[in-house]
Amino acid sequence: MHHLILITWKGLLRDRILQGILVATGIFLFIPSVSVLSMRQVGELAITLSLSLTSFILLLIAIFCGGTALWKDIDRHSIYSVLGLPISRTNYLLGKFFGIAGFLLLISLVLGLLASATIWYVSLTDPPARPILWTNILMALTFDCLKYIMVVAVSFLFSTVSTSFFLPIFGTITLFLGGNVTQEVYDYLQTPAGAALPALTKQIALFLYYLLPNFAVFDLKANAVYSIPLPANGILLPLAYSLAYCGLLLSAAAMLFTRRELH
Amino acid sequence: MDAITIEALSKTFKGKRGRSVEALQGLQLSIPPGEVFGFLGPNGAGKSTTIKILMGLIRATGGQASIMGIPVSSHTARRNVGYLPENPSFYDYLTAEEYLNFTGKMFGMTGPMLHERSQAMLHRLDLWEARQRPIRTYSKGMTQRLGLAQALLHDPQVYILDEPMSGLDPIGRALVKEIILELKAAGKCVFFSTHITSDAEAICDRVGIILQGRLQCVERVETIMTPDAELSPGDSAQQSLEKFFLEIVRKGSH
Repeated sequence: MHHLILITWKGLLRDRILQGILVATGIFLFIPSVSVLSMRQVGELAITLSLSLTSFILLLIAIFCGGTALWKDIDRHSIYSVLGLPISRTNYLLGKFFGIAGFLLLISLVLGLLASATIWYVSLTDPPARPILWTNILMALTFDCLKYIMVVAVSFLFSTVSTSFFLPIFGTITLFLGGNVTQEVYDYLQTPAGAALPALTKQIALFLYYLLPNFAVFDLKANAVYSIPLPANGILLPLAYSLAYCGLLLSAAAMLFTRRELH
Repeated sequence: MDAITIEALSKTFKGKRGRSVEALQGLQLSIPPGEVFGFLGPNGAGKSTTIKILMGLIRATGGQASIMGIPVSSHTARRNVGYLPENPSFYDYLTAEEYLNFTGKMFGMTGPMLHERSQAMLHRLDLWEARQRPIRTYSKGMTQRLGLAQALLHDPQVYILDEPMSGLDPIGRALVKEIILELKAAGKCVFFSTHITSDAEAICDRVGIILQGRLQCVERVETIMTPDAELSPGDSAQQSLEKFFLEIVRKGSH
């Protein structure tokens, strides 16, 4: 499987998407100037913008690389050559997945370094009121990366049943948006206003809360921006959750892909 | 043990509006090692469907097939196979050298052995000069030759080639025929589909003709080519595989 991971890496590194990423990273250069506009919270804004830009680039990679990885192989017929080799479909799927996940990790590292350099530069020119907790920034970046690896797993599940890129891309975007609000919906259900909702509505909302990925648990931006200490279970729980959720998604994807007929 | 065994293989595709299409019906075939077998048939006869089932790309509705005794449902059956898909396509961001390196490693080849075999295949298939160019810059014939190179690389016992002469110029076709005859001399089993009867006539030991999913006949080429052969389906003596093929198709269509 590791040979397929390496080949997937090569493909991503030689893809035009990398050129697009290189162009997008140029935006980091503007963050110090834009942060000054906030007057009082220059450091906080610099951290917010740096983490948000990193997150946005990772989202684009996760959706477009994850959503088109299988579709490209099927559409261009290169899958016939690869599956003609002694590799199981599950290993093929996992090879592609780990190739993209590894690429996301690499890009996260590069973007993390750029974000840190930007934040450090801003902290020199405008010393922040609170000390910058670099561990929190590192954890926020790591959890963002984990979140987007989950997004790739979602796109792979859609890819195994789709014959075009529409479902993998737009289905993943829909699920990503949904997964970002499930926690808020759940919290609302706990309020008196939420408790007053019809029982069926509450049941459906709860069902979706448990079914859809909960991306809110990966959001440590507030901890990074305002130097709030990280809760111990706030790290281990999302880590275990992402591993379990990715495992379930990939198992389902492997089961569906193994049964798929490649005409 | 036969190199390829196919027993009562059938495949039904579900079409639109609940209609079903029987692409293969009770296909029975066995091919021993050292034989070159040509699988002939018009477009849509079931040749590619058979090959895709053998390669595990689609599942048979009924029956079973095995390669060197291993059921085709297991990916380990493909360890003994060199496969060339119809109109092959490869990861086009790689160079031919990189792709052969990847293929070899997938078959467990390593180090100097892989390097030597890879270089030998690039020379043999006339791709040496282009070995470091991305595959996306290759012509159709070059891609086809790369497909053969990756099928030959690990020196398997069985070769399954889907239209191997497709897209090749006369020089390329002559090269492929020469390679297939070398494989036969080395005791390998070659199963290939084609609708170019002259190619089959020149290199096959036996041919099978499939029509509308049904195997119409399996016959030795020398028997077909013998004048006044009893097996000849026509009224007059057959001396060309093309005439034999056309007669079978004509009879099967009625």
